[in-house]
Amino acid sequence: MEIKKSLFSRILITVLVLVFVSAAAFAGGQKEGSATQTSKAVDARFNVGFTTDQALSTLIPDESWQYMEMGCIFWPLVYDQLWIMGPAPDYKPIPMLAESWETKDNQTWTFHLRKNAKFHDGTPVTAEDVAFTLKYLPASDPAWEYEDTDCDDIQVIDDHTIQFTLTAKHGGDYPPVFWTPILPKHIWEPYKDDMHSYDNAGAVGSGPFKLKEFKADQYIWLERNEDYWGNKPGAQTVVLKTYGSAEARNLALKKGEIDMIGYNGIDPLSLSSFKDTQNIEVKIDPGITIDWLSFNLHKENAITDINVRKAIMYGIDIDRIISIAYLGYAEPADSFMYKELPDHNPDLPQFTYNIEKAKAILAEAGYRDTDADGTLNDPETGENLVFELLGPSDWTQEVKMITLIKEQMSDIGISIKPKIVDLDTFYEFWYAPEEDGFDISIGNEEPGPHADWIWEFARSWDNGGEGWNCAYYNNAQFDEYLDDMAEQSDRGARKADLFKMQEILADDLPYGFLLRWKSINPVRTDRFTGYTSTMGGVSTWINPWSYFNVKPAE
Amino acid sequence: MSNTKAELSINKKRKQKIRNQKIKDFLYLLIDHKMGKIGVGIIVIFLFVALAAPLLRTVSPHQSGNASEILIPPNSQFILGTDDLGRDVWSQVLYGSRVSLLIGFVSALATVVTGTLVGIIAGFYGGILEEVLMRIVDFFMMLPALPLMIVLAAVLGPNIWNIIFVVTLISWPTTARVVRSQVLSLKERPFVEASRCIGAKNSFLMFGEIFPNVVPILFAEAVIMITEAIYAEAVLSFLGLGDPVRMSWGSMLHFAFDSGTMARAPWWVLPPIVSIILLIIGFSFLGTAVSDILKPGYKEKKGL
Amino acid sequence: MKTLQFILKKLTGALITIVAIAIANFAIFRIAPGDPIRMMFKDPRVSTEQLQAMRVKFGLDKSIGGQFIDYVKQLLHGNLGFSFWQKRPVADVIGDRIGQTLILVVTALVIATTLGIILGAISGWRNGSKTDRTILSLSLVLYSIPTFAMGILLLLVFGFILLLFPLGGITTPASGFTGFMYLKDVLWHMVLPAFSIVLWYVGEYILLTRSSMVEVMDQDYIVTARSKGLRESVILRKHALRNALLPVVTLSGVNFAFAIAGVIEAETVFSWPGIGRLTYDAVMKRDYPLLQGIFLLFAVSVVVANFIVDLIYTRIDPRIKTGAAHE
Repeated sequence: MEIKKSLFSRILITVLVLVFVSAAAFAGGQKEGSATQTSKAVDARFNVGFTTDQALSTLIPDESWQYMEMGCIFWPLVYDQLWIMGPAPDYKPIPMLAESWETKDNQTWTFHLRKNAKFHDGTPVTAEDVAFTLKYLPASDPAWEYEDTDCDDIQVIDDHTIQFTLTAKHGGDYPPVFWTPILPKHIWEPYKDDMHSYDNAGAVGSGPFKLKEFKADQYIWLERNEDYWGNKPGAQTVVLKTYGSAEARNLALKKGEIDMIGYNGIDPLSLSSFKDTQNIEVKIDPGITIDWLSFNLHKENAITDINVRKAIMYGIDIDRIISIAYLGYAEPADSFMYKELPDHNPDLPQFTYNIEKAKAILAEAGYRDTDADGTLNDPETGENLVFELLGPSDWTQEVKMITLIKEQMSDIGISIKPKIVDLDTFYEFWYAPEEDGFDISIGNEEPGPHADWIWEFARSWDNGGEGWNCAYYNNAQFDEYLDDMAEQSDRGARKADLFKMQEILADDLPYGFLLRWKSINPVRTDRFTGYTSTMGGVSTWINPWSYFNVKPAE
Repeated sequence: MSNTKAELSINKKRKQKIRNQKIKDFLYLLIDHKMGKIGVGIIVIFLFVALAAPLLRTVSPHQSGNASEILIPPNSQFILGTDDLGRDVWSQVLYGSRVSLLIGFVSALATVVTGTLVGIIAGFYGGILEEVLMRIVDFFMMLPALPLMIVLAAVLGPNIWNIIFVVTLISWPTTARVVRSQVLSLKERPFVEASRCIGAKNSFLMFGEIFPNVVPILFAEAVIMITEAIYAEAVLSFLGLGDPVRMSWGSMLHFAFDSGTMARAPWWVLPPIVSIILLIIGFSFLGTAVSDILKPGYKEKKGL
Repeated sequence: MKTLQFILKKLTGALITIVAIAIANFAIFRIAPGDPIRMMFKDPRVSTEQLQAMRVKFGLDKSIGGQFIDYVKQLLHGNLGFSFWQKRPVADVIGDRIGQTLILVVTALVIATTLGIILGAISGWRNGSKTDRTILSLSLVLYSIPTFAMGILLLLVFGFILLLFPLGGITTPASGFTGFMYLKDVLWHMVLPAFSIVLWYVGEYILLTRSSMVEVMDQDYIVTARSKGLRESVILRKHALRNALLPVVTLSGVNFAFAIAGVIEAETVFSWPGIGRLTYDAVMKRDYPLLQGIFLLFAVSVVVANFIVDLIYTRIDPRIKTGAAHE
């Protein structure tokens, strides 16, 4: 009996203590918040907000650099590259670790490194590190394998000169080895055969910022690299913070907890709450993301009929989608190429919303509602025109788009079954059209101004296109133009190839291009100035410039 | 032989009569019980809403609006305002009740049927069969319910029937356990013995004699299961694992939470939350009332 | 002797359950569709050789039987395997998160138990009174509000509208706090998520304590104590509550284990980096080894909690016949 008594009283005391402590913590915590606020302004801390699903779980150099939003920011800040794509409007290549480069035949390239670059641990950056990175990084993960990092032969000429021969010629306006972090050989050497096996907890790079603390899925705390070879950033500290939802993140911006949104800006719906807010400037930039529909040509149903795909495109009221799902902050797209770029083909067929035309195309091709259930029937099989429309639940706007497309398709007698899955499952279905996990799918990418790789989405499935080709598309002619384009250094010939490629895609319709949404970025101007805009906004994979350029406000 | 048959049929009629009287008494007691009254009231209202949804709605719950109709606060046209696609929140709430009630009732039915079968068989036959069945029951009861539901819902795909399946799979063991312990005491009772003596088959003993006596307990169990199924559907949908075709209260919350406009549009968040809470409260109250009524002596106290 | 036998019987039962769960664990995730290796590479251009290399690395190239033997071998060595997604040992991944969940669940449950016992005792003691009815309906209402719904309400009101508490997370990012300041920071972040859990469990504890109290109140010894003219408060504390607490103790034990598994809701709403969120992410990433580890952890904690509760039961309530405890 004694046991029970002491147990109960002990529990009671513990609880009372805990309640008291949490009450005290609450009272104290609030004071804490305001205390840090004032001290933050002093140490020039640049706070940037992400959402949980954008946060990094590890610092391993795997796909997390390219496929996780926080990774797209973290890596370029901490790891220097040979060269970097400059800011808008001309997006010129800018030397970074490499001072200069040259090539005679577009296949063998020589890069001259600057002599004063050092890793964060003090070791100088040499050609050995570059050779090491080129040799082992692309082999470790497909995320690093591109035609411009695929080398046959790598030679270290001296400490600061490296020469390598690519497996294929590399043309265009930019040198090869785009967007590749140079890793310190002395740290990675033991893990070269399996770079996933090193947790990279220290993250030693040579970039303008050094890692101070990394909390998986929570935050990354960076400090300015005082020994940096180039211009030192104006912010002494950069903190990439994570919030549970976009709404929490947006509120944090309003409260001054963060100065900038980490990726893709804000939802158009949230814009009104930032209008006329003190100390906040809203920047609206052209988008970087292009949304499209992938039609699965592997399916054995009516989706493989070009008439059906055309009717679908004519049946989509893109203006309505833009006005409702994006509140007008988007523009129609008709290609992987942005309309303002010189390589955009201006003569592509436009699928302007025309419900009668859509119906006429279907009727002419023999699709009739034979069973009078409101949905058209396939003349061959007699089955209803029912298509699964795949999309990831994480993409809020695209889910809205799916709802709207479903409505519009029912107007032309096509029944859409939305298939909303989590993002990882989505990618698994999307990139595997041969497994018939969808009929139509929402898809998007952020090609950016230097994007020869985006065309790989349409490389013939049977000709090495398996991977990115998410329509099971085959067209040998397209591949010819694509291969020629990649190797061409002649501007005019490249442009001709690209025009032709865009034309072929518009005729074959493996992909139905939908729209390009604008980037809406509220930024705080009371603590920092010098935010840099490019397409896609102030902070994207092609734009680390805001982090380099911001300065504490006077 | 025919004699016995006639006796049995008379017996049956008498039993039927007693049963009808019992149901009447039960309903009387339920309405008499304060919580029972409230619970039944809430449930009846939601049932009405679910059935009459097409009449009560102003527009289709899935029909998107114009650009000017996005996230507008409650007004005369949209009683509860609109969501981020300009869809009517009021209609969504109405139709959401269908999903919750459907999942609640069907899962509870499936759970009770499975649980009863296993419970009666285990309790009645005993021995190795019982041992094996009860081990399986124990095993299922040890599994963490919510994580398992998430795994299965993610694996099977978002679909209302999968959710029902998952909920049933998780909940039937509780019922099986309760039924079995009832059967254990029931099968020793004289009326079962008597029936056995006149040569009744096992199946008749189980489902003709024992089963009617577990029905009251099953009713209480079913009410609890409905509550749990409604809860489970709401959680799964909130986590984004709900049926994308049917708007439920949980998925409304999922979209509202994801849209980043919760604070701006509380009219979109509060109605589904309030509905979930009210409906669960309704069933909880009903459950409390039922278990009160089933307590020995309650009936007598009320003078029946 | 009987007690020892009872303990042994319980122990074997617990072990059998754990083994069964370990096996089922393996099976559940293998029959799930989706190729985890393919999911490891977000880049779709991964070559068949690379996929094969990864399969070999994680032992997924072997037959199901071979994989099972590997799995059992690993388990016997206390090794939970290697996470596909985070590419480090499962034990490390879980280890990073479990503390954050424990602090949340323990705090919430302790508060819930205490409040529940106090309110439940009052309610049961004043059985039938107005106070009783108020507490009873309150607890039923609280018990009917899903944790995530309560979480959203708390977040909306105290976070978004009143701006009183943080909107999520466990600490102020990059605060550099240490020691007491750090603890304070964590507790401050914990208030809303903890209360969304507390408010659900408190209903359960009130209901249980109350019904237990009501039962005890009818017992002879209370009647005797009353007839001896003892003060009400003495009877409440010394006789009634002491005996009524027994089932509550049982429930706290079992609840503790289940609460860890059920904390997903609060962790999602408040982006609390604990084991609940981890489970959800692991499901989405098809990270079998991590899921197996998490499920084993859940199962073991439930089994162990049950076992301990059984022990406490026999210890503090000798009235329980050890042989009949199975019923």
